[in-house]
Parts: sequence; structure tokens; C-alpha cells
Amino acid sequence: MSLHENIEAGSPGGAVNARTLIALEDVSKTYATASGGGVHALDSVSLEIRDGEFVCVVGPSGCGKSTMLRLLAGLDSCEQGNLAMDGEPILGPSPRVGVVFQAANLLPWLNVRENVRLPLRVGGRHMSAEDRVDALLAMTGLGDFGQRYPYELSGGMQQRAGICRALARDPEVLLMDEPFGALDALTRERMNLELQRIWQANRKTILLITHSISEAIFLADRVIVMSARPGRILKELPVNIPRPRSFDEIISHPDYKPLAREIRTLLTGQETANG
Amino acid sequence: MVNVLVSTVATSPASTSTTSRRFNAQSLTPWIGLVILLSLWTGSVHAFAIPSYILPTPAAVLSALWSGIAVSPTNALGYYIPLWSTLSNAAIGFFIGVALGLVLGSLMAESRIVERLLMPYAFALQSLPKVAIAPLVVIWFGFGDGSKIAIAALLAFFPVLINSFTGLRAIEPERIDLMRSLSATRFETYRIVKLPNAAPFIFAGLDMAVVYALLGTIVAEFLGAQRGMGVVITQAQAVSDVAGVFAALAILGVCGIVLHGLVRWLERSVVHWADRNKH
Repeated sequence: MSLHENIEAGSPGGAVNARTLIALEDVSKTYATASGGGVHALDSVSLEIRDGEFVCVVGPSGCGKSTMLRLLAGLDSCEQGNLAMDGEPILGPSPRVGVVFQAANLLPWLNVRENVRLPLRVGGRHMSAEDRVDALLAMTGLGDFGQRYPYELSGGMQQRAGICRALARDPEVLLMDEPFGALDALTRERMNLELQRIWQANRKTILLITHSISEAIFLADRVIVMSARPGRILKELPVNIPRPRSFDEIISHPDYKPLAREIRTLLTGQETANG
Repeated sequence: MVNVLVSTVATSPASTSTTSRRFNAQSLTPWIGLVILLSLWTGSVHAFAIPSYILPTPAAVLSALWSGIAVSPTNALGYYIPLWSTLSNAAIGFFIGVALGLVLGSLMAESRIVERLLMPYAFALQSLPKVAIAPLVVIWFGFGDGSKIAIAALLAFFPVLINSFTGLRAIEPERIDLMRSLSATRFETYRIVKLPNAAPFIFAGLDMAVVYALLGTIVAEFLGAQRGMGVVITQAQAVSDVAGVFAALAILGVCGIVLHGLVRWLERSVVHWADRNKH
């Protein structure tokens, strides 16, 4: 259960030859609304995510990105299509999946340590695992803040604690729903660097939802661009920029501008198409 | 972060002294109000020559108060025996009412069936003036401590029931999603997420319940009892000792303020995160 068991030199597209871990096949989802109608959130989405891959999903607001994440987390079910992890259908929440929520979603009545330990003491688990909690807090620079309460922490530190909590059960997959959307630009860049480091050290499979094009290119092996409602996958764009990436270097990389422009064109085309 | 800590430490002595000065000034204001009230009271009693069986002077009330306080605690004419009787019965009723309210409120919040089963009657009973039920309770439980405890419990029950139900339902869906993503059991979700989340609501209910329990006990004592502050009041009233009535009311008022303060103090130490978790 070491945190650093799989440290590898970060190579671009390090997961290219890995097995498929998560597969969505022709998935559609319609939410019932209070007025009796339905919101068509996802429309026949198919996607494969390889083991150890970092995938970012960008799309306009309400494009079903979050719906996709909820389906993968087992928090919702779809009426059409198949979702599978390792070939097994996803029927409900799994300990192999950790979820990082928007705005951290820490419990304000628990201190940082108790928040991070939460996954180890619910759902039929009664592990003390103090060492593991210590290691996670140290890895994210929260070593001295275990006894603090969430309201005593900055937004960036809160989200670091949220990431620690998602990693507590040592899941294979991290699902992150706009984790840094509420942070200021500088904190956000720092969190992106840290997330890249955590990912390279632990080699989780990560699906991260974001509004930010630069964040998506910086973090992803592959960027998925989605359309406005009903959500469809418009394009999958591989990012072949070597790792570890830094914000200074990535902007001057020859691939960066064409990629950013293409994503922007796809997204703005969506906005004008929808008036 | 280091800078933030240093600057907080550097400014804290100054800020503490200003807040304590402001605190002193603010805590003085109600006393000024009391002085003005007492002066007006004394002045009007003398100016309009109001007889003491209608409105006694503050000095007369004070002397009645003193004659009840400055006695041995075992003296049957002092306030200590009736006050102990009233407060202990109110406390027992309070705890019974709070426990029942919390358990039923939780069951109603957790189960739609229990909610549909109980909610209409809970609201019907809530809108009924419960003091009007008191004579019935006395018929059932007699003139002893039983009926006082029962009425105190009945009055304490409703604010806790309604507030715990409302608080347990007022949970952010993200928190439920978190617990579901961890495959937490229903009771774990209740204990770790819903109950702490409802704590500010529940304390608002306790704040009402503690005063209602005292009120319920006094009402039961009015209806016929051997002991208690309610009996002190009715006995003073029977001999037109209005100063004695005022003195007993003053004692009850102080009890109400102290109990309210206790609940608020408990709330601040338990619900330390409230209003501070918005970043």
C-alpha cells in the first residue's frame, strides 16, 4: 500500500499500450425534471480509458460532463448503454474508485485528519491506518494541518484534503469533478502542478472534468471535447507534450497553440450553434 | 501561510483589547435599561399613589425577594425547596421531551412512511395550545410530580421534533453523494453527516424546549400541586402579596436567562464550525 510503489519516469502518453480500464458504450441518460419533462443529458457516449491514463473532459456548462462522472462513480444509473470497469458492469459505488468533488466537499465538523480518514471507517471498513493518513497528508503538504478544521484552511488546501480523502482507499481510478474551479488562477496552477506530481507518483487512472482549456491541456494525456446538451463527444485530442510539464514550457511547446485553438473552436462553435 | 500566522499573532493583542472593551460597553447597555425601568416604576407608583396590592414598588419586591433568599436552604418559606422541585421536574421533563423529539424527528426524516404517518398529527398537535391540555394531563397523572414532568416533556417535545426533522432533511446532496460514493451504511450517513449537519437546527429547538419545559412545569403547578415556584406564586396571589408574586417571577426570569445561556454556551462549543465554513 506504499504511495510510491509505481514511480516511473513520466513519459508522454505513458499509458498508450496499457489495457482498457473503463469503457462507456453507447451511454445515454435522461433526467426526469420536476415539471414532468426530461433533460436529455447524455446522448450515446462511447469512450475508453486506459489503465494509468489521465483524461480531461471539457465542454460547455450543462453538457453532461458531471452526469458522465456520476455514472462512472456509480451514483446514478443510465437507461441505455453499458458502463464497465475491467470488463465488469458498474452497478454502484466501488472502493476502486475515488471521487474528488467540486469545492472539496469536506465535512466542516471533522478536522482535516478525520476527513481524510473517513473512507477508512465507513462502508464496513474499520481500519485505523494512521500511517496511511500521515503519508497522504505529507504528500500534499498538509502534514502540519491534520488537527485544523476545514474553515481554517484556504480553498487550495481544502481541495488538497479532498484529494487525500479520495486517495485514502488507494483506488485505481480518480474521478474529479471540476476540482479547482473555485480557486484563483495562481492557486489553480499550483494545484495542477501538484496533481501532475501525485499522478506521476501513484499512476492512478484519472478522469478530470474542467472548464479550463489550459488546465485540460496541461494535465491530460487525452482531452475529450463534449457538445452542449444533449452531451455528445465531439472530438478526442491526444496531448503529446512530454512530462513533467510546467506552465512556462507548455505554452511555448509547438503543439500547445494549435491544440488550444482547436478546442476553443469546437467549444465556441457549440455556443454559437446554441444561440 | 507563515506570513498569515505571524500577522495574526502580531495583531491579536490589540484586537482582543478592542473587542473586550466593546463587549463591556455592550453588556452594560441592558443594565442601563433596567435602571431606567426601575426609576420610572418607582416614580409612577409614588406619583399616582398606586396601592401596593396593585403594583408594589421595586423596593418592596426587592425586600420580598430578600426574605425568600436570605433563609436557610431547608426553610419551607424560602425559595430553595420550591425552586429545586420546579427545576428538577422541568429538567426531567426536558430530557424526556428532547429524547422523544429527537428519536421521532429522526425517524420521520429518515422514513417517508413514518413521515406520512406522523406528520399531520404532529402539526395538528403543534398548532393546538398545549397549555390547554394541561388539565387533562393532571387528571391522568395526578397532582404529584408526574403531571409536571409530563407537561414539561410535552412542551419540550415539539420544538425538538420539528427542528430535528427540518435539520436532518436540510442536507446538501453533495454530502449524501460523498457518503454514497464510500458505500456508507444508512446509520453511518445519519451519524457522521446528517446529525452534525442538523445540530444548529436541533440547538435552536433545545433553546425553545428548555424555556417551554420550565413553563410547562409552572403551569402544572398552578393547576394544583404541593410544591414548586408555581405554588409560591399562587399562594402569594391568594393573600394579595403582589410583591411576592413579582419576586417569584423575577427568580423564574433569572432561571430562564441562565438556562438559555447554558444552551447557547453548549451550542457554541459543540457547533464550532457554524458560520465559519464559508470560504
